[in-house]
Amino acid sequence: MTPVLELRDLQTSFEMPEGTVHALRELSLSVSRGEILGLVGESGSGKSLTGFSINRLISPPGRVTKGEVRLHGRDILPLPDSEMRKLRGRKIAMIFQDPMMTLNPVLRIETQIRDVLLAHEKLSKSEVRARALAALDEVGIPAPEERLRVYPHQLSGGMRQRVAIAIALLHKPDLVIADEPTTALDVTIQGQILALVQRLCRDRGTALIWISHDLAVVAGLADRIAVMYAGRIVEEGPIDDILDAPAHPYTRGLIDSVPVPGQRGGRLRQIPGRMPALTDLPTGCAFAPRCARATENCAEVPQLMPFGEDRKVRCVHPLAAGEAA
Amino acid sequence: MSDPVLSVRGLGRRFGSEGDFVARGLRKLGLAPPASVVQAVEDVSFDLYPGEVLGVVGESGCGKSTLGRMVAGLLEPTSGTVTRPDAEGRALPMQMIFQDPFSSLNPRKRVKALIGEAPRVHRLTSPSEVEAYVADMMDRCGIDPSYATRFPHAFSGGQRQRVGIARALAVKPEILVCDEAVSALDVSIQAQIVNLFMDLRDELGLTYLFISHDLGIIEHISDRVLVMYLGRAVETGPVDRIFDAPAHPYTRALIDGVPRLDRRRAIYSPIKGDIPSPVDPPPGCAFHPRCPLATEICRVERPVLRDMGDGRQAACHHAESQI
Ligand SMILES: Nc1ncnc2c1ncn2[C@@H]1O[C@H](COP(=O)(O)OP(=O)(O)OP(=O)(O)O)[C@@H](O)[C@H]1O
Ligand SMILES: Nc1ncnc2c1ncn2[C@@H]1O[C@H](COP(=O)(O)OP(=O)(O)OP(=O)(O)O)[C@@H](O)[C@H]1O
Ligand code: SF4
Ligand SMILES: [Mg+2]
Ligand SMILES: [Mg+2]
Repeated sequence: MTPVLELRDLQTSFEMPEGTVHALRELSLSVSRGEILGLVGESGSGKSLTGFSINRLISPPGRVTKGEVRLHGRDILPLPDSEMRKLRGRKIAMIFQDPMMTLNPVLRIETQIRDVLLAHEKLSKSEVRARALAALDEVGIPAPEERLRVYPHQLSGGMRQRVAIAIALLHKPDLVIADEPTTALDVTIQGQILALVQRLCRDRGTALIWISHDLAVVAGLADRIAVMYAGRIVEEGPIDDILDAPAHPYTRGLIDSVPVPGQRGGRLRQIPGRMPALTDLPTGCAFAPRCARATENCAEVPQLMPFGEDRKVRCVHPLAAGEAA
Repeated sequence: MSDPVLSVRGLGRRFGSEGDFVARGLRKLGLAPPASVVQAVEDVSFDLYPGEVLGVVGESGCGKSTLGRMVAGLLEPTSGTVTRPDAEGRALPMQMIFQDPFSSLNPRKRVKALIGEAPRVHRLTSPSEVEAYVADMMDRCGIDPSYATRFPHAFSGGQRQRVGIARALAVKPEILVCDEAVSALDVSIQAQIVNLFMDLRDELGLTYLFISHDLGIIEHISDRVLVMYLGRAVETGPVDRIFDAPAHPYTRALIDGVPRLDRRRAIYSPIKGDIPSPVDPPPGCAFHPRCPLATEICRVERPVLRDMGDGRQAACHHAESQI
């Protein structure tokens, strides 16, 4: 079956005074109907840029410089902006870390929902209202009639995110890219949104890319996981295989730095150092300066190689199952 | 135990107004819609002891940020008091690290100005040493000091949050109010920052009011925990008691619902029902519409925070049946 979305060798670059910086490189991944792909990685690794690149929301000095973005098998990169605008919101929707990326601060919620609905559909006034109420109800917003009349700033952070999600889902898109939408929310609200998203993907067959720095959230949600580091995917595969037996030392480090429930106080295990700036990448494996397994063989950028069944890893010294980094 | 560095008593904050007497009169007669007054925080009391971490958790909109801003002196309470018995000597004894790294940094200022200005003005460092001072703060917080001349927009979300933490630490505060300070950070940096917070506590005796929705972090970092629901404290006590044997059904729901690495393809069944509108909170126990233990008394009588006899307090009529 053709995946809903397939990225092939995508590269996104910024023209900087220091020269061209490649923020995404050799990025290949795919997500199928009804599948949830968790995209995780360190801050600045390129997770959001991946979502923006798919949606053509990169503004100069940045642009996609290479590769393909295939939606249902068709490369949408060459499409004119007018065609892309039709896809955006209708076929591909985004939910952002900051709901104010979706919401307009000076418009009432009802106005915003109406505008999005009427952008792609012909509806009567009462149909608009019914759809708006249903949309807010679906994401669990109490007293939806009241909420339709308010402005975004009158809602708490969690409420704003629900409204943003409701708006993203108005046209039942085939692909949803969710960029850290639960990062600022507490557990029960996150749980409700995760339950909502699970239901949506199962029932509607929506493909979902869930971008998060929170491995635990992805563990509970995703079918597959892709781990990014410094603009590249370093490991990719089924969620259980990767979390139970990570092959890339970076994935191992990520898993080890999550606080373990029941284990209080004390120091957390941290990966030494920090991710290098894109302008200052080492010539070989970008993780090498932080990696306990690095050797001279790491002086060249490793390829993303098949590893076991249905998995890939970009490391010349992958870990065996259970091995420490 | 030593004296608290900060005491909060009966703290409350209301937003919105009830209008003039005409509006109130009309409402009484049922001729006007109810006023939209939000009681964001109501009757919260606690003491903060030197060098401890008090974790604050609760649902979106329950008043954590409002509480944090009042404690940090950035927002006037409408009732109750925040007192610091021993506040002499420090220029800026309290600093707040915000939830939203996108709006808390002035986009027009370079990082070295963002971090270095306040300590220079308050003479925590000499003009000739300010650059080294800033570099040290950046390095401590895991930001490459060579980025000092950059503007905030050139950083990713997590990098910006680290700039915010470096800026707060630069004025050598006594108390840090952290509002979702590590929520936007990925785990390896989160681990570094949590370790950094703990080191700073050990080195400088820093005291924290640590607000987070992340129970994993709260469990790891806190000595004591305060659980809030609809503006009120529903449970408070030592971290071990709260996490090992939660007395309040809301606390239990939070702990059961927290994502964990070992819970795969979880079927999330969070607490049922909607968050009640804070404009019109339910009578009795505010949690009763969502509570699996609710009985008749919960619908009519508001449970007060009661001592559970193990250093913990809970506001639930049926708390004993939980533990
Ligand atoms: N407008 C820009 N100009 C220059 N570099 C940029 C720009 N926008 C992003 N970048 C760089 O691209 C890289 C990837 O950024 P991106 O926002 O995708 O990271 P991320 O993985 O989403 O991080 P976070 O978890 O912090 O949100 C970062 O190193 C960032 O500094
Ligand atoms: N300036 C304001 N005007 C009116 N209402 C407000 C204002 N600030 C906060 N509120 C209301 O007060 C309540 C508590 O808000 P607060 O931001 O403190 O919650 P929170 O626990 O920090 O939530 P979150 O987890 O979403 O950040 C909410 O109902 C919110 O809508
Ligand atoms: S008082 Fe009643 S409704 Fe409230 S938490 Fe306890 S059992 Fe539930
Ligand atoms: Mg991002
Ligand atoms: Mg808040």
